Amino acid sequence: MDSTSATPNLDSLPEETPVESPSDEVSDHVNELPSAFASVPPRPSIQAPSQKYAPLDWSDYFDREDDVHIPGSNDVFHVYQAGTEGPVVFCLHGGGYSGLSFALSASILKEKARVVAMDFRGHGKSATENELDLSVETLCNDVVAVLKTMYGDSPPAIVLVGHSMGGSVAVHVAARKVLPSLAGLIVVDVVEGTAMASLVHMQKILANRMQHFPTVEKAIEWSVRGGSLRNIDSARVSIPSTLAYDDSKKCYTHRAKLEETEQYWRGWYEGLSEKFLSCPVPKLLLLAGTDRLDRTLTIGQMQGKFQMVVVRHTGHAIQEDVPDEFASLILNFISRNRIGPRGIEVSVLKLLCTHFDYYAVMVALLSLENLV
Amino acid sequence: MPSHADLDRQIEQLMECKPLTEAEVKTLCDQARAILVEEWNVQPVKCPVTVCGDIHGQFYDLIELFRIGGNAPDTNYLFMGDYVDRGYYSVETVTLLVALKVRYRDRITILRGNHESRQITQVYGFYDECLRKYGNANVWKYFTDLFDYLPLTALIESQVFCLHGGLSPSLDTLDNIRALDRIQEVPHEGPMCDLLWSDPDDRCGWGISPRGAGYTFGQDIAAQFNHTNGLTLISRAHQLVMEGYNWCQEKNVVTVFSAPNYCYRCGNMAAILEIGENMEQNFLQFDPAPRQIEPDTTRKTPDYFL
Repeated sequence: MDSTSATPNLDSLPEETPVESPSDEVSDHVNELPSAFASVPPRPSIQAPSQKYAPLDWSDYFDREDDVHIPGSNDVFHVYQAGTEGPVVFCLHGGGYSGLSFALSASILKEKARVVAMDFRGHGKSATENELDLSVETLCNDVVAVLKTMYGDSPPAIVLVGHSMGGSVAVHVAARKVLPSLAGLIVVDVVEGTAMASLVHMQKILANRMQHFPTVEKAIEWSVRGGSLRNIDSARVSIPSTLAYDDSKKCYTHRAKLEETEQYWRGWYEGLSEKFLSCPVPKLLLLAGTDRLDRTLTIGQMQGKFQMVVVRHTGHAIQEDVPDEFASLILNFISRNRIGPRGIEVSVLKLLCTHFDYYAVMVALLSLENLV
Repeated sequence: MPSHADLDRQIEQLMECKPLTEAEVKTLCDQARAILVEEWNVQPVKCPVTVCGDIHGQFYDLIELFRIGGNAPDTNYLFMGDYVDRGYYSVETVTLLVALKVRYRDRITILRGNHESRQITQVYGFYDECLRKYGNANVWKYFTDLFDYLPLTALIESQVFCLHGGLSPSLDTLDNIRALDRIQEVPHEGPMCDLLWSDPDDRCGWGISPRGAGYTFGQDIAAQFNHTNGLTLISRAHQLVMEGYNWCQEKNVVTVFSAPNYCYRCGNMAAILEIGENMEQNFLQFDPAPRQIEPDTTRKTPDYFL
């Protein structure tokens, strides 16, 4: 217990304890009732583990994959794409993940948006001259270069979505104000205050990860059983791309050499909250499980400068654990902010200004649970 | 029905930050509902009155507020919502305010804020706090059922219009507001939602709110609303302002925020707005209560950062 003696009965709840809403309660507790069959051991799963954790192909979720060659360099960035209409939802994964972290979400988002998910350098199927330079400046340059190469001088409306380390890169790219068609910024479960506080533990956490896997299936199984991912299907499609085969050891290991990039970690997060608030586009912060705002973001939120949604019953990788909810939050954000393929649709705003039928103008808003 | 003596004892107990029993809360909420159901969407209020903004469960700062502004019922109070969530004493804070309302119905006005809602309180702390302090969600249910009856806005001497958030593109007049059916959970959209969620903005006209609910409204909108309804001022809360109060939109709108050092980390001052017998305005600023102990603000750091 970590409460002070002066305030009995006010211990903070453990952060990861899911809080049941009252409406869930009945269904949640039904399964806990003692049953006449309680003494019968659970039957083994019908699926053998190897099938249960079998890899899934990216093409089940994305429409195509491409290699983006950056002119004037030998850097090649791998991108997955889905969808043909609407604004571009450009997804940036966290450290150690890959673009396929967004696979399940993309398959839903693509109905109304063009999803692009790139592999950062040192990750997935991207191949660059310096795989270990994960400085935020370099990662930002990479994103800007990929966008420039893909869309030239007339890019479509872009909503940047970044998870964790990718969230930091998304904020830094947006804060540079070099993307004229940037229409929205979505940051997934990263806040400067708690990220900086956790840096001291990171080498240990990286070292404590399982390092070697005899098979891809074992790596998928480990990611689910270890709790880093909670959605087996997402793990089955995303985990294979985070692995590399080590010929000398005859086993799989982590593709991204994060433990060799410590010098860049502080740079990802220092000043992130101020930078986030400075981005002149609609902003959404998605947090997993609990409100972890630091001082700067608490003030910003309480001044109404951005939208925050606390997504419950999910781990750190919200887009993987609850892809349906993640996708609907993103689509609601796009629709509420009237982001079309070319940017904010002004005509609708003008309608509002003339008090034109308010309800006719309003389209699917977020549920209140998802607000603030 | 508890007598005044019972209520006075309960208020005394609450002033020491000691919560009531579950049964007492139930009775209190029943009494409060009977009072609030008689109040208007635009509840008339007489001066003198002291207008207060967000409290957010910062109980000891509420006590400080009473020390600065005067005790109820010696001072009349109008609270503009957001009694619960975020702070550590939402239960004690909202119970005290509701008890004061029941005891001194004509001297205390309590409006609804966007946090007086079933859905919001499940995310931002009040629900968890009720579970922790009572072992079940009954008290949370009594209060959130009561919140449906809170008036949405108040009108001081037909001049100063008070509400939690701001204006709505579908509400041009006070009569439009009077016509709303307010006895319900705060909706996800529409005029009632806007009153509790909107913010003033430097840009003219209506804008999409960055919050994800309500609108932003410009000076032109506020000036037009005041002119149409014969008002001198819109007084609202909802936004943290570092000095505790903030004039904007050419003094058509004032923001009052009464939770000092919000969330025990923001370093802001709090303020209340005294409106005197002749409608003269006086702001009183205050800092966090000196004796306040922060109950464990260290939060578990996540075991990832990647």
